[in-house]
Amino acid sequence: MDINVKLVGLFQTGRFKQSHRDYPSTTNVQDVIDDLDLPQQHFGIVLINGVHADVDTLLSEGDHLVLMPVIDGG
Amino acid sequence: MKFQTTDPASNPSAIFYKRCTLDLASGEMTFADLPCRNLEDVLGGFGRSFQDLAKRKVKNAYSDQNPLIVNTGLLTGSSAMTALRTYFSGYSPIKGSKAGLPAAMWSTGSGKFGAKFKWTGLDELLFENRSEQPVYVVIKETEAGPEVELKPAGHLLGLSTHAKIMTLQKEYNNAHFAVIGRAGENWQNNYMGAVALSTENQLKSQEDKFRFAGRGGMGSLMGYKNILALVAQSSDKVGNVSEAVKKVNLNVIKGGGSARIQPLSRGGGGGTWAAYDVLQTFHAVPVNNFRPQGNDIPEKLFRENVEREYDIKSESCYRCGITCHNNISAKNADGSKGEFLAKFDYEPLNLLSTNIGIHDAGQAARLIQLGDNYGMDAISLGVTIAYALSYNQRHPQTPILNGATFGDYEKIHELVIQAGEGQLPEIGKGSMRLSASLGETSYAYHVKGLEIAAYQPETNPGYAWAIAGGHMSMGTYGLLTREGKSDLDSWVRGITEDKLHIVGFDMIGLCKFFDITKGIGTQMVVDCLQSEFNLQVSTEDLRAAVERAFLRGLALELRQGYTKAEFCLPAEVAESPNHNIRLPDISSADFFAKLAKRVWAIFDAKLEGLPDNQ
Ligand code: SF4
Repeated sequence: MDINVKLVGLFQTGRFKQSHRDYPSTTNVQDVIDDLDLPQQHFGIVLINGVHADVDTLLSEGDHLVLMPVIDGG
Repeated sequence: MKFQTTDPASNPSAIFYKRCTLDLASGEMTFADLPCRNLEDVLGGFGRSFQDLAKRKVKNAYSDQNPLIVNTGLLTGSSAMTALRTYFSGYSPIKGSKAGLPAAMWSTGSGKFGAKFKWTGLDELLFENRSEQPVYVVIKETEAGPEVELKPAGHLLGLSTHAKIMTLQKEYNNAHFAVIGRAGENWQNNYMGAVALSTENQLKSQEDKFRFAGRGGMGSLMGYKNILALVAQSSDKVGNVSEAVKKVNLNVIKGGGSARIQPLSRGGGGGTWAAYDVLQTFHAVPVNNFRPQGNDIPEKLFRENVEREYDIKSESCYRCGITCHNNISAKNADGSKGEFLAKFDYEPLNLLSTNIGIHDAGQAARLIQLGDNYGMDAISLGVTIAYALSYNQRHPQTPILNGATFGDYEKIHELVIQAGEGQLPEIGKGSMRLSASLGETSYAYHVKGLEIAAYQPETNPGYAWAIAGGHMSMGTYGLLTREGKSDLDSWVRGITEDKLHIVGFDMIGLCKFFDITKGIGTQMVVDCLQSEFNLQVSTEDLRAAVERAFLRGLALELRQGYTKAEFCLPAEVAESPNHNIRLPDISSADFFAKLAKRVWAIFDAKLEGLPDNQ
């Protein structure tokens, strides 16, 4: 299935800003994180079609997935 | 501190802290080893100072009744990573209730002054009254114990924060410094004076790379007392780091808690500046006085865009492996590093750039540097200027001040200088007073008289219960953006249970980045206390002490005349919803009213049960 993946901030380094990627139909968010080898310690926010989601959420054809690092103030 | 027990929670009075009380009017000073009243006293910082402030009836921040309390936390100066904090507490000139009473306030910063202060043997310095003449205060270690001396400070008067530190460095070896700038000297017209704390890096490089205790006008209070600087002179006292603390320090660095704050070059997240990228995804980066426009304008200050033209170096405070400072310098024609400009932290950067319509990194750096050298709180300064610019945008025919509008760098630059020089009380006294005088308060972005941090209030109703400024004393700023929580239950729990624990770091002497998500009620802190002082304390004891300290802050706000209606967000948030922000809408008056009802039901009950040990 086609997933439109957008990466934010440091996740873009050595990867991409936005890319359409092909995944099998039972892919969840964690699978994408693993596939892209995103650093786990920075992992923070998942949006699917603009809505916050968990890493174990299953993806569907055409989903827009945004993966972001955590934020902290100061 | 002296420890005659290993059990600080049940036997706090067997632990003593050394306080010097200095009457600035007479020069008289008394030293005392005081028994701790409770675990909050043992932990220190505002946990102790607020208990003493609560004993005073203070109607005016600039009065003899208002002390300035300078203290440290239990772990300040220890071998735990980030243990460098100094706390400045007193009734605030800028934060106050509509009843006209000043609020109790603390402000804190890193740098090395706090550790040096602790190593002199003193735990707390309490200033009474005010000096007739400008003075500076030397706190030094001697064989007989700490000594405190008042010195004439005529030669420091009128100097910038950096120049004061450089001048004092020539006179004092082995010392670190806490100074005010011209803003604090002009306390009558500037209520947002900050205290600048010297860093090792600053003293070595001679560049203006300091840290700040910025919030709440503690630098103005220091200026009112006519204290221009504090000098802490002592040998360095970090001995061998125990295996237990080594393990904790490694965990702070490697465990993930501080990873996002560490340098990109080390696989970190690049400091708080990285919040720009994340918040922009939601169109929640404050723009033009907290009105994000749903466009890509904030991206101009993304790191990737700034580093093309400027040199960015990750640097740190003394012995801190987190290395959170992003120091920006000009680039020479050959690409080498040029003149140092400023440090880009998320809050000062946003509030002195995008939120006032400035999108050029060099201009932003100059404004930050200017504010730092005048010794002004970047948050209060930026937000008050943003209010004035917004007013001028709404009243093009009858603008105020110099007529500055969003993005007008030259005029904004002029406003900063005039405010720092004490020539512009309209800015210097903060957005609450300016907006009230103009009769347009709805778009003044302060809560309880203190300007809010660089998180849209639409995303953080928790601001209302922050006792010393949002993001510093209520960690709810990421509850919607980071955690996606938009239901009442999560917000009630966040405000009343979890996120208030951020203030534990304002007691114990550590930076929040030590473990920002969990607070100080953790095994890491337990291990440090055991290893450094042989103290046995549980995570539950620590959490209970932090909660009591927070509640005392809330009780003090109510005692200083705040009505519950003043625990609110700027009116514009609900009156004029900003649909550009791409997050679930929790900004309605209805949501806030329901939240307030439930939060107060919990806090009221807890306040009733608060031990009357003030
Ligand atoms: S976390 Fe940052 S501010 Fe805190 S001690 Fe380390 S370098 Fe300094």
